[in-house]
Amino acid sequence: MFSDLFFRLRSLFRRETVESEADAELRFHFERQVEKYLKSGMSRSEATRRTRLEFGGHEQLKEEIRDARGVSFIETFVQDIRYGMRTLRKNPAFAVIAALTLALGIGASASVFSVVNAILLKPLPYPQAERIVIPWLVSPPGVNIGSEYFPWGQIQFRFLTHDDHPFKELGAFQNDSFNLTGSGEPALLDGFRTSAGFFPALGVSPMFGRTYTDDEDQPGHEHVVVLSYRLWQERFGGDRNVLGRSIELNGYPYAIIGVMPVDFAFPRAEEMPVSFNFPRRPQLWVPLAIAPTPVAGPSELAVIGRLKPELTIEQAQAQMNVITKRAETIDPRWKGWSNTRLTPLEKQVVGDSQRPLLLILGSVGIVLLIACSNVANLLLTRSFGRRREFTLRAALGAGRARLVRQLLTESLVLALAGGLLGIWFAVAGVRFLKAFGPANIPRLQEVSLDTHVFAFAAAISLFTGIFFGLAPALEAARKNIFESLREGGQRAGAGSAHPRLRNALLVSQVALALVLVISAGLLVRTFYHMLSVDPGFRPAQVFTFQLSLPALKYPDQARIVPVYTRVLENLRGVSGVESAGIAETLPMGGEGESTVIKIPDHPATNDKSLPFANYTIVSPGYFSAVGASILRGRAIAETDTGDSMPVAIVNSAMAKLYWPGEDALGKRVALGSPRYPTFTIVGIVADIKHFSMREDPAPEMYVAYTQKQWPSMLTMNVAVRTKADLSSMTAGVREAIHSADPDLPIAKLAPLTILVDDSMTEPRFAMLLLTSFGGLALLLATIGMYGVISYSVAQRTQEIGIRMALGAARGNVFGMVLAQGARLAGLGIVIGLAAACAVTRLMASFLYGVQPTDPITFVAVSGLLVGVALLACYLPARRATRVDPIIALRYE
Amino acid sequence: MANKRIELPQGTLDLLILRTLALEPQHGWAISERIHQISSDVLLVQQGSLYPALHRLERRGWIKAKWGTSENNRRAKYYELTKAGRKQLELEKDSWNKLAGAVAQILETA
Repeated sequence: MFSDLFFRLRSLFRRETVESEADAELRFHFERQVEKYLKSGMSRSEATRRTRLEFGGHEQLKEEIRDARGVSFIETFVQDIRYGMRTLRKNPAFAVIAALTLALGIGASASVFSVVNAILLKPLPYPQAERIVIPWLVSPPGVNIGSEYFPWGQIQFRFLTHDDHPFKELGAFQNDSFNLTGSGEPALLDGFRTSAGFFPALGVSPMFGRTYTDDEDQPGHEHVVVLSYRLWQERFGGDRNVLGRSIELNGYPYAIIGVMPVDFAFPRAEEMPVSFNFPRRPQLWVPLAIAPTPVAGPSELAVIGRLKPELTIEQAQAQMNVITKRAETIDPRWKGWSNTRLTPLEKQVVGDSQRPLLLILGSVGIVLLIACSNVANLLLTRSFGRRREFTLRAALGAGRARLVRQLLTESLVLALAGGLLGIWFAVAGVRFLKAFGPANIPRLQEVSLDTHVFAFAAAISLFTGIFFGLAPALEAARKNIFESLREGGQRAGAGSAHPRLRNALLVSQVALALVLVISAGLLVRTFYHMLSVDPGFRPAQVFTFQLSLPALKYPDQARIVPVYTRVLENLRGVSGVESAGIAETLPMGGEGESTVIKIPDHPATNDKSLPFANYTIVSPGYFSAVGASILRGRAIAETDTGDSMPVAIVNSAMAKLYWPGEDALGKRVALGSPRYPTFTIVGIVADIKHFSMREDPAPEMYVAYTQKQWPSMLTMNVAVRTKADLSSMTAGVREAIHSADPDLPIAKLAPLTILVDDSMTEPRFAMLLLTSFGGLALLLATIGMYGVISYSVAQRTQEIGIRMALGAARGNVFGMVLAQGARLAGLGIVIGLAAACAVTRLMASFLYGVQPTDPITFVAVSGLLVGVALLACYLPARRATRVDPIIALRYE
Repeated sequence: MANKRIELPQGTLDLLILRTLALEPQHGWAISERIHQISSDVLLVQQGSLYPALHRLERRGWIKAKWGTSENNRRAKYYELTKAGRKQLELEKDSWNKLAGAVAQILETA
């Protein structure tokens, strides 16, 4: 084994010696043989001639000896690389175009892969993240409560922690807004109330300080807070002496006990079900402090657990099901409502982002394929030009395999050059993705070019090198040497280049580009359709902000309502304000409360068809502020007070769903619990979109803030419609708020259009990405088409010359070339259309208001491709008409 | 004379070279001469196959080469059998004999 290696190495490093030894050996043999013939009586010249004949090619023999010694693989490789670089340098235009084409394909793929890598492949930044699960409560089978998951109640969570549960660590959390006062400008912060098990379940520890203990997670002891790195930096200037300091949250003093690491932000909105309406970026965490025997209250908790070491997720789920059964026997009200589903955190975080990623991955794959086939075509063209060179090498004894190998090495050199350039493109691509990617792509900020991405880029460079190099290499080496020699004598004989392969590559390029451009076109149509959808409100000239009342100062309804009334009065007094209103949730501001309702006219026949509705508290003026039209009846009015008849406005979806074929006006609706009054419907309002322009409207009811019973109104949103410029209004608005209560922080002040735009970033991003890939594909296919047609014109120069000499008009020649292009493009389009029919079906869930086989898109894109193809053929066709028959024929 | 010669079956050249070298170290030309003579002019080893075979056998460690002086006082590369080569020769001889015997048996009886 080692001696073999040594032998090869000696052959490699002492090449000169070995070579000259082989020379000497062969020379000795030659002379011995000549001597032998001389002895048998031949003349010297005869003896030399005989020996030379017997010997055959000296160089060829040496080559075979080299092969036998086993050195040649590496050596030839190095030699081929050198040779390849030389030929590339000799033809820089070709090298640059090919390398750029590949770099675009590889760069685009690598940057998309870096996203896939961060989201799907990289482990979560928690120790043994695969052991972390989220037990969701799921609605009973067949019951639609508007969302698949619903929150845990404190009683249920207590029950779980006291039972024999399958978790090593178990924590609950709920989001809350915290009004930070006492140090500088009051600020409204997004944070979480979590039980003590929350941090251990994730397995994270603070950057410094500590997280809270079980003792601190008790009512009366819960006034400690853990800060996020960002809050620590922004609010406390990164001061390490912050531990033990006291800050005021919602009017209570909290002691700072720890600061989390810079990259810790759990949970993030984009990683959790949207119905929970979690904040994008939590800033602080405080103890949840559930009472030992909690009282009934709203269900607002999410739960996270780390599985006991020996349990699989199936076993844990089985154990949870046992607990569910037990819970249902203890409290029959829970029957059917304590089903759980354990979702691995990894799966939860990735969520639905897998499908858009696959779409992007697929389209970038198509671009890469087109780039490959384009370069293959370029190589083919070039290898026909190098015919003589190959013929010469074959004549000098190069075997077919040897030629293929050399050509493959050249393509690898090209591919690696493309790969290096491509990494540079990928850096730019990643920057672009991070800057413009929608915020709801989980872990987008973790995207980076790491070793995985480099390995991927290297792998696809190698793969593409072989992929686009193999066909031309085989094609070049296909013909036997005699045929080539015979052709070499003539200039560009008619049948010399086999156009079949080139044509096939071209047709597939056109087909692939068509599929991609059609997909992009469908997304463009979806996007514009979404823009034209009636959102149910008019966002222009409206701005919104959030108000949060300190709980200490405003403990009950009696004190909360007047301050909002005062705020509204003050706002309406600001000059330029047209109308102002308050609501619990804003249009496009996420989902509000969802609740089971009772409809006295149509009582539910069984548990499975319990009606439900979104439940939103609003003030008078809200609908006119956001520009929602009252379709029938009236809006909430100043006359709806705590003493008057409880009223509700329903949206048109709710009216249609629960009173089909009837007039909902005047009908009555109640909440699930008998503690709340029954409302009388006095108005029907247009459906207002909550998340996305493409959502189907959910039933929604609006009740007056003066008549509200549930839930807390401590945090509300204000919408103001103005006549004047938004920026000129802010000072007046601040004054109006602070004259109602100087301690009220104004948070998230922004034009309503921003909320709408935010909801469009994802479809816009998908559209932008696919359109740019589609454009790239189109460009590459055009270049490919141009290359093939102009090559074929160059080849047919003689033929065209003869035709023209025989009287063909320039127009005929022009038409002939165009027709050739049109035939190829037409075939590509037909194949592409068939493929598109199959492919676009897969992207139905990305589309809105347009069919996967939308005829307009299909026809328009086909037309576009025909146009582009004709454009690509135009220049070569014109060149063909300029052929001078005399010059063309003189070459004969 | 031409039709007296036959082509060497694949793989037998190695065996013949090893066998030739079993007697004494030889250079390439002498090996081909010897095979030619001993086979009564039936087997002719071309340089084109001889030298690649020699270098291949050297790589496998069955023969080793060193420079020496030839019968006409010139520098020549002599090949000699190594221990491994001797073992290999026995192995190949055995399998050749088995093959030849089997072929002969079939030709006679079948």
